[in-house]
Amino acid sequence: MRYMRATTDRSRRGSDIRYALHLLRGNPIVLAGTIISIASLIVGLLSGLIVDPNSWKHIDLNLRLCWNNLAIDWHIRNVFVCSGNSYPLGTDAFGRDLLKMMILAIPLDVQIALEVVASAVVIGIAVGGFAAYAGGKIDEVILRVTDVFLSIPSILLAIVLLVIVGRSLTVLTFAVLVTWWPTYVRLVRSQVLSEKEKPYVETLRVLGAGGSRILFGHVIPNSIYPVLVQATMDIGSVILTIAALTFIGFAPSPLIPELGNLANQGIRYFFTAPWLIVFPGLTIFIISLGFNLLGDGVRDIFDPRLRR
Amino acid sequence: MTFVLLAISLIIFYLTRAVLPPTTAAAPYITPRMNDDMKLNVAVSLGLATPSCPSWEAFSTSRAGCVMPVWGQYVGWLRNVLQGNWGYTLLPGISGTETTWYVFASRFPYTAELAIAGALLTIIIGIPLGIISATHNNKWPDHVSRIISIGGYSMPTFWVGLLLQLLFVLYIRINGLGLLPSNGVLDASCAICVANPGQISMFTGVPILDSLLSGNLPYSWDAMIALFLPTVTLALTSIGALTRIVRSSMMEVLRQDYILLARSKGLRERVVIYRHALKNALLPAMTISGLIVASLLGGVVVIELIFSLPGVGNAALVASQVLDLNFLELYVLVTAAIIVIVNLIVDLAYAKLDPRIRY
Repeated sequence: MRYMRATTDRSRRGSDIRYALHLLRGNPIVLAGTIISIASLIVGLLSGLIVDPNSWKHIDLNLRLCWNNLAIDWHIRNVFVCSGNSYPLGTDAFGRDLLKMMILAIPLDVQIALEVVASAVVIGIAVGGFAAYAGGKIDEVILRVTDVFLSIPSILLAIVLLVIVGRSLTVLTFAVLVTWWPTYVRLVRSQVLSEKEKPYVETLRVLGAGGSRILFGHVIPNSIYPVLVQATMDIGSVILTIAALTFIGFAPSPLIPELGNLANQGIRYFFTAPWLIVFPGLTIFIISLGFNLLGDGVRDIFDPRLRR
Repeated sequence: MTFVLLAISLIIFYLTRAVLPPTTAAAPYITPRMNDDMKLNVAVSLGLATPSCPSWEAFSTSRAGCVMPVWGQYVGWLRNVLQGNWGYTLLPGISGTETTWYVFASRFPYTAELAIAGALLTIIIGIPLGIISATHNNKWPDHVSRIISIGGYSMPTFWVGLLLQLLFVLYIRINGLGLLPSNGVLDASCAICVANPGQISMFTGVPILDSLLSGNLPYSWDAMIALFLPTVTLALTSIGALTRIVRSSMMEVLRQDYILLARSKGLRERVVIYRHALKNALLPAMTISGLIVASLLGGVVVIELIFSLPGVGNAALVASQVLDLNFLELYVLVTAAIIVIVNLIVDLAYAKLDPRIRY
């Protein structure tokens, strides 16, 4: 009996995946999203091998704000021309190669985003699942708490936390997480609420399965797809929030290679050295776009109501 | 609603007052010329030290019974706040003489103007885009509108704003002047601005409204031109959420039986969509207006910085540098209050518009 259930399960999952791959092939948008997301993860993993991980500490003020890439003419007068080495994307205000700094920055941003989203999903599943299953007063209290956190724009609460607790990458991660978990609690809660009314839950209860086994073994796995879609799209949004926070001046150090901070260091020289904003911003845009396209497409694939 | 605001005030107060040592909270108000008695008086008047505290030294070493417990501080603070007393501002240039509330109230109109303009543009572009996307599902208008909405959703706000500045201020030039000003408030140094817009009298603090009330049309033209780039930046980054939900709810509604009936009656497609489907499709979109308002009010911080707008978001960034806790508390609470009120209005309007829902 147990064996049979396992095989039917596996073959059903297998055909699901095959169907998803089939839809993926016919959908250039999702394909682009997948490629961009995987590429940014690969660049993130390999960045330490491509660029010396400590090169961001090396300041050379003789080389600051220079540009020697003839392919792009900024139509700006008085651009400093770098001598010797070639810098395809110019140098920043500390005389560091902007391209190298961006390659070092990608893993940092992606890592913080993955940490925030993964923690938010875990909290969401635990708290949201518990709220939906417990119901009654507990559910009510948890809902009100999420109400409180959803009523403060995430960037404001993060600013207050960074001002009070101090500027570090840990606080930055935590500050964004504080405003991100309620969305997942609500999402998981609503999914579990609709799922637990289905007949199979009653069957399980009749068969003698315990509450936690029904919840974590059956109900949550069955309601996980919308959560995964939301998580994929949120990776992009978290990267945007982190970049916005470091751009307005909440980076732990002005030197740290983080995409928003690189742009922040360029804001004073914007009309003389636009590359300092244009390229880090473009990188944030591409990574965020990749995860958003992937999430949007995956939702269409998994949401049968939106299928063709 | 009151509960949410109270809880937020508690969180913010706890964060700003209990985490920092009490001497840090008193430090901005203390000058080197003060003697210890005066310092103690400041600490007592700020509600940080208990009235029975014997000396400044006892307070600064946190002797027992000398530092007011956080609960006591909160009750005192809440009493003041409910009476409209938010303390004095520490913002450079105006510190010590003006109340926090005055500074906030004089800067808030600029933020409100930007947020309202952004919200209007988001609605004007977002809803039609969502409808087109749903009615032309998986055809090219759908793809274009999805690329616009997902693209806008994925763009860093500061990047869009600065790129637009680069384009309209540096690259598109007429007679040596940029087409649009890079400054969010009245700036007559652009190609299509009026050279001498004149003066207006202050009624509300909102430049566009005031100039219209004063009957100074050139001024209002300049103010609108100046607000154009910030508004586009703000709207572009928040259109995506609205378009997405209008699209999916419209697709869901179009699959309903009554739409099939309307079509089989021979009604024109336009009538079916705009008179029968749209009303029901917009209801779910209303529920996320709280979220959209939150994203707009969060987005203005970055936009005020890059367009040098004298709004509350820009002031909050300065306040965070000089540790003006009064201003940060006021800012977060007013923003949260706006979001809570918008959510309440949406809930009430929802019940009014949808007869199936009764509270």
